[in-house]
Amino acid sequence: MGLRRFVLRRLVEIVVIFFVIMTVLFVLFRLAPGDPVARMVDPSMTPEDARLLMESMGLDQPLWTQYLYYLKNVATGNLGISFHYGEPVSRILMNRLPNTILLFTTAIVLSALLGVFLGKIAAWRREERIDTLMTIGALFCNTLFLPWLALIMIWFFAYWVGWFPITGMISPQVWIDPSAGPIRKTLDVLHHMALPLMTLIVTHFGSYLLVMRSSMLDTLKDDYIITARAKGLDEKTIRDHHAAPNAALPVVTSVGLSLAFSINGGALTETVFSWPGIGRELVFSVSHSDYPLAQAAFLLIAIVVLMANLVVDVLYAYLDPRIRY
Amino acid sequence: MVGWNRFHRLAALLLMVLGLGACQEFDRSDVLRIGLAEEPRTLNVWLAGDVNSRKVLSLIYQPLYVYDPETMDLVPWLAAAMPEYDPRTLSYTVRLRPARWSDGTPFTSQDVAFTAHLIQTFKVPRYASSWSFIDRVQTPDPHTVIFYLQQPMATFLTGTMVTPIVQHKEWSVIAEQAQATEKPLTALLNHRMQHPVGTGPFTLEQWRKGAFVHLKRNPHFFGTGQTINGQVLGPFFEELVYSVFGTSDVAILALKKGSIDMFWWHVQPGYMDDLDRHERIQLFTNEKSALYFMGFNLRQPPFNDVVLRRAVAHLIDKDFIVSRVLQGQGGKMFSVVPAENVFWCCTDLPRYGDGMSRESRYSVAYQLLAEAGYTWAVPPLDAAGNLQPAREIRLPDGRPMARFTILTPPADYDPHRAISGLMIQEWLRELGMPAFSRPMAFSSLLQQVKDNHDFDAFILGYGRLRLDPEYVRNLFHSANDQPRGWNMSGYRNPVFDELADRSISEMDPLERRELVFEMQRLIARDLPFIPIYNPHVVEAVRRDRFEGWVEMLEGIGNIWSLCLVKPVARHGT
Repeated sequence: MGLRRFVLRRLVEIVVIFFVIMTVLFVLFRLAPGDPVARMVDPSMTPEDARLLMESMGLDQPLWTQYLYYLKNVATGNLGISFHYGEPVSRILMNRLPNTILLFTTAIVLSALLGVFLGKIAAWRREERIDTLMTIGALFCNTLFLPWLALIMIWFFAYWVGWFPITGMISPQVWIDPSAGPIRKTLDVLHHMALPLMTLIVTHFGSYLLVMRSSMLDTLKDDYIITARAKGLDEKTIRDHHAAPNAALPVVTSVGLSLAFSINGGALTETVFSWPGIGRELVFSVSHSDYPLAQAAFLLIAIVVLMANLVVDVLYAYLDPRIRY
Repeated sequence: MVGWNRFHRLAALLLMVLGLGACQEFDRSDVLRIGLAEEPRTLNVWLAGDVNSRKVLSLIYQPLYVYDPETMDLVPWLAAAMPEYDPRTLSYTVRLRPARWSDGTPFTSQDVAFTAHLIQTFKVPRYASSWSFIDRVQTPDPHTVIFYLQQPMATFLTGTMVTPIVQHKEWSVIAEQAQATEKPLTALLNHRMQHPVGTGPFTLEQWRKGAFVHLKRNPHFFGTGQTINGQVLGPFFEELVYSVFGTSDVAILALKKGSIDMFWWHVQPGYMDDLDRHERIQLFTNEKSALYFMGFNLRQPPFNDVVLRRAVAHLIDKDFIVSRVLQGQGGKMFSVVPAENVFWCCTDLPRYGDGMSRESRYSVAYQLLAEAGYTWAVPPLDAAGNLQPAREIRLPDGRPMARFTILTPPADYDPHRAISGLMIQEWLRELGMPAFSRPMAFSSLLQQVKDNHDFDAFILGYGRLRLDPEYVRNLFHSANDQPRGWNMSGYRNPVFDELADRSISEMDPLERRELVFEMQRLIARDLPFIPIYNPHVVEAVRRDRFEGWVEMLEGIGNIWSLCLVKPVARHGT
């Protein structure tokens, strides 16, 4: 089977999977208890008010009609209007997506760099005290409860020491100041990003460190490392230029997948740090039965993950022709 | 060497970022900074149903009348005086105050008439029922509006007249565009408002989604420098910034640090000692217009028996719930109308179990049930009249009482209701009842209770009830005993229905009050709901920044406060 045919087959599969995901999402939200209007009304409102609200959201239609509208809308690129915001959900998500990508992509890349760097050292100095310390430290950090750590970070660095803003992504005082230029605004975002970034790095780098350490230990047993030593190369060169690049491959795979999943944000991180990302919207939309917003958010995640899988599959097929058959 | 240079560059960048913290103190005395627990969802006044959107919109769009903070009577706001009622023509005449919209154009009776027309044409949810009985609106001159009613309707003043008025010039275009669509109402509700034009004390400057809402003082606000309700109104500061905080913990830290001047959300009891000790923070405690209650399913045994419901009412120790569960931050309730709603709350109602000792409450409950034919394998009182753990209560027909559940919201949604459910479970078990408190997701609870009527008992609450007691009618009228109807308990009483129907069309407030009192007496007698508590609202502000907060029902976050607070440093100058 040629590469083109392989890609076409995968594309067809992805379209089918996407359709299944769309349907499952639609059904799941309708099966969930409660309706979107239940939490918007109070006894001061008449049943007529509640009926009008249902009507305005299109929830008075039979389920199959709603489903057909939903399919038609998705097919035409219209993801619907949020019940609560009254805005197209695509606009809401596009507004939030860059914030999530900025924070989580940076966090994953920096965590991976730190993890690879420390994992390399730990493996190189295996069974020494520094290896034990790093391994235990990585396990400890990896199991920290993120909201707790986030609150401690805020209390210490933002409230007690006062180095960082307490939460949020931007400071009103900077953004309402007409004299504030792009540099000041960029620095303001970086300033707000520092604490959530530090928190994410602390809780994420450990897993990369452990993967890198394990991979590096395997790599160090390979023949080409012995050959490198036999050639008389110095230890630093062997470690950094021969062993580490090969050992880092599993970390790269892990980072790739993490990046794909990072668009769902971290609801906990975004909530505690008041970071206006996708994760917070996802939680809000599910808890408030905002069907269009929740469906669109999950669809977005599905699309990115499916695309990431496609890219990986195509790359593998390109590199290893046996996979195409 | 290269490594060191890289390190230096990184360190310099870090220092620069850290340095921003020192140079970004935001303490301009003419800017009030308010923390919100959630972001406002919309600036479309017809869509806004969430409390945070209303906190912004209530400063932009204004009604004809607002509530007096002390008496809770209506006072003229955009109106110049109280309306004149003509029973012969069933009409109200309202004279308007000279006012301007924030874009400088004059506010006239055309705007009021247009608002009425828009609500009626589109049947705008939340407002349509308050305007459905208006036959027509006349505007004899730019400062006079006459509302003709189809039938007498008691909620005209408290419902219709507190509706926000929108600008004809701005909304007629939007309405026209919406009418041209397939779904006009949906198009109207989903219209994106970017620069709403209002008559309120503030106007929108910018809204950074997910971060803050920035308002500026409206130079055309009709109240500035005027004496309304005995107060000379401001606003006395130039700008208002709402910031969003994901959790209360972080908002409280921001308040303590001085990053915000007020946290416009209820402060939980756990924070109060800490905040109380802070010399620059002031706490305000106020009543709410709320109702937290235990409801029963009257459609099926065992709670179709009023005697059993009265026995349960005796067993609920409201003092314990208020003092321990709410930690003193609330009051006991005996009517479905909060006691703080002074005009409408009936006070001569039975207070089941109130002020009784534990022994007395159990003794009375036991006697009530025993007289009605209930029996026990082991009764709650021994031969000497001492309390003992009861076992296996039996219904009057001799069958053992089946296990029943008390549905509550989960503790992470509302710990007070969840713990109250557990306490009530234990009190009922002591009388031999097989009670089981069951926390469940709020949406599931609503579906089970309101939609499916599949429950025995539940604990729910309404945190922001309107002051008009129309909701008493909605909650217990037999016409609302239907899936998704408000009569969740299935209470059916023709006498109550008749009183409720009369109350809604009684135009004399004193006469209507008598009817509403009688409705409350019936509910207190038949107990489809047992009112339990009304929590206080506790709010925190920085005392070193602004002063002059106006306390009223629902707290200090209100239009009066924002028209009257002054920066501390400028006060008296």
